[in-house]
Amino acid sequence: MTLATDTAVRADGVVLRYGRTTALDGVSLSLGTGVTGLLGPNGAGKTTLLRVIATAVRPDSGTVSAFGHDALTGPGRLAVRRRLGYLPQDPGFHPSFTAFEFVDYVAILKELTVRSARHAEVRRVLAQVGLDEQRGKRIRALSGGMRQRVALAAALVGDPALLILDEPTVGLDPEQRMRFRELFADLGEDRAVLLSTHQTEDVMSLCRTVVVLDEGRVRFDGTPVELAAQAAGRVWTSETRATGALASWRTGTGSYRQVGDPPLGADLLEPTIEDGYLTLVGLRATEDPR
Amino acid sequence: MTTTWHVPDDDLRAYAGQGLGPPLLWSTETHLASCAVCRSRLAALVPVDAGWARLDAALDAPRPGPVERVLVLVGVPDHTARLLTATPALRLSWLAAVAATLVLTALLANAATPVVFLGVAPLLTLIGVAVSFGPGVDPTYEITVTSPVHAFRLLLLRCVAVLVANTLLCAAATLFVPGYGLTIAGWFLPSLALTVLTLLLSPRLGPAWAAVLVGAGWVLAVTWAEMLPFSAAGQLSLCAVVAVLSVLLARRAALFDVLTTRRIR
Repeated sequence: MTLATDTAVRADGVVLRYGRTTALDGVSLSLGTGVTGLLGPNGAGKTTLLRVIATAVRPDSGTVSAFGHDALTGPGRLAVRRRLGYLPQDPGFHPSFTAFEFVDYVAILKELTVRSARHAEVRRVLAQVGLDEQRGKRIRALSGGMRQRVALAAALVGDPALLILDEPTVGLDPEQRMRFRELFADLGEDRAVLLSTHQTEDVMSLCRTVVVLDEGRVRFDGTPVELAAQAAGRVWTSETRATGALASWRTGTGSYRQVGDPPLGADLLEPTIEDGYLTLVGLRATEDPR
Repeated sequence: MTTTWHVPDDDLRAYAGQGLGPPLLWSTETHLASCAVCRSRLAALVPVDAGWARLDAALDAPRPGPVERVLVLVGVPDHTARLLTATPALRLSWLAAVAATLVLTALLANAATPVVFLGVAPLLTLIGVAVSFGPGVDPTYEITVTSPVHAFRLLLLRCVAVLVANTLLCAAATLFVPGYGLTIAGWFLPSLALTVLTLLLSPRLGPAWAAVLVGAGWVLAVTWAEMLPFSAAGQLSLCAVVAVLSVLLARRAALFDVLTTRRIR
């Protein structure tokens, strides 16, 4: 487990069950300033872990603290929520609201009650996500990418010290993803950002640390380079598909890139973060529909 | 457009200093849009840049709907009124449907039995509360739960607003059922009891199923007991039930502070 020197959030031994299903099985991690990536196949428990840290769900056992507050007590939860920006996986909207009205609504939920100051903050965050021109449009008239930006703007209201983002780049085109990446990098300069994603390139380019979750357990906690190194000596190229490889696909050059146990004398390649992730999680990761 | 009325000096100064609150703020902004005299008086009070910033802010500001305006007029703070605008059961279309149903049941009560009116009126309040807040009902529920505004407080705010709106409509509808004296006001305590019971069950069942269960129980009770719940003894019993359920609800307020894991699988 990586222990950040400036720990903002710490979870220890978190267990959460939905009936007979164990969603989180003794998860421990700590978050400091910077962007932390959370990777894992569908059903690994990523969203549940984000909900626990975001104080939306109470775990069955374990401890969660943020900024020195116990997030499992009433007063501690309130203190954490006052410093939290949360973008859920499926952010809901009141579709008849305009982008401005929706973010204004969330700003009130975040205790910004003085009208003029609140509206100034709403304009600031909408500009931050590049929606200042669309602020008067009804949400039902916005594209999926724009809605995602509205939801992100709502999470940014109040300049939160802890930002929890559950798959914020799903459904975005490459240009929008690049803009989000720039924004997340800026935001991670002075706050803790926990980013759940299936995009390994986002993790490689943004994250100071990465956590891989699988079947409710932390399988890896380290830097992106260390994650890539998990596949060191296990990535090779050949002209034919290898049987028994963990993953094998033909590249644009016509040769096969393979991850797994290489044959003797194989032509080894430098592993990527995706290779490291595949090595850790196995084939189930490749079955992920996303 | 010419007008003979102009914004008083004090109000205009307060507006320039951003010290004017709704609803006076809204009427001032509306007037300024159509009155060149007041705009030039305002220009003398505000530096040009600040004036542009104010114009920007005014153009961005959400336009309050009729329900929000009424809420502010009766003294609800503007930010609270804004939170209540997302309540489906406070939309004009919903209130119109409730009013039409009440009038219809009142006419049926005159033609047949007052039980029709007394039984249906609490159900309308119950449905209004059930669709107002909760997982699967409010699209922003998860964001609300993780916000500093306690979800239980928002729930109570919306419930009280729905109860008040329905109570006013029901009270008006009783005028269509003359001849039964105070008995025809017997819908009020069942409305409260059904609402509080639904809230109590909603963390476990969700608001929709809790309302269906409680509503079905009420229909069975009225079908079986007819006017008994609306008699003096029935009303006293309901009063005691409301008190007990309210205490239980207050004790379980913390359940509304997080998502119920059984409901988010």
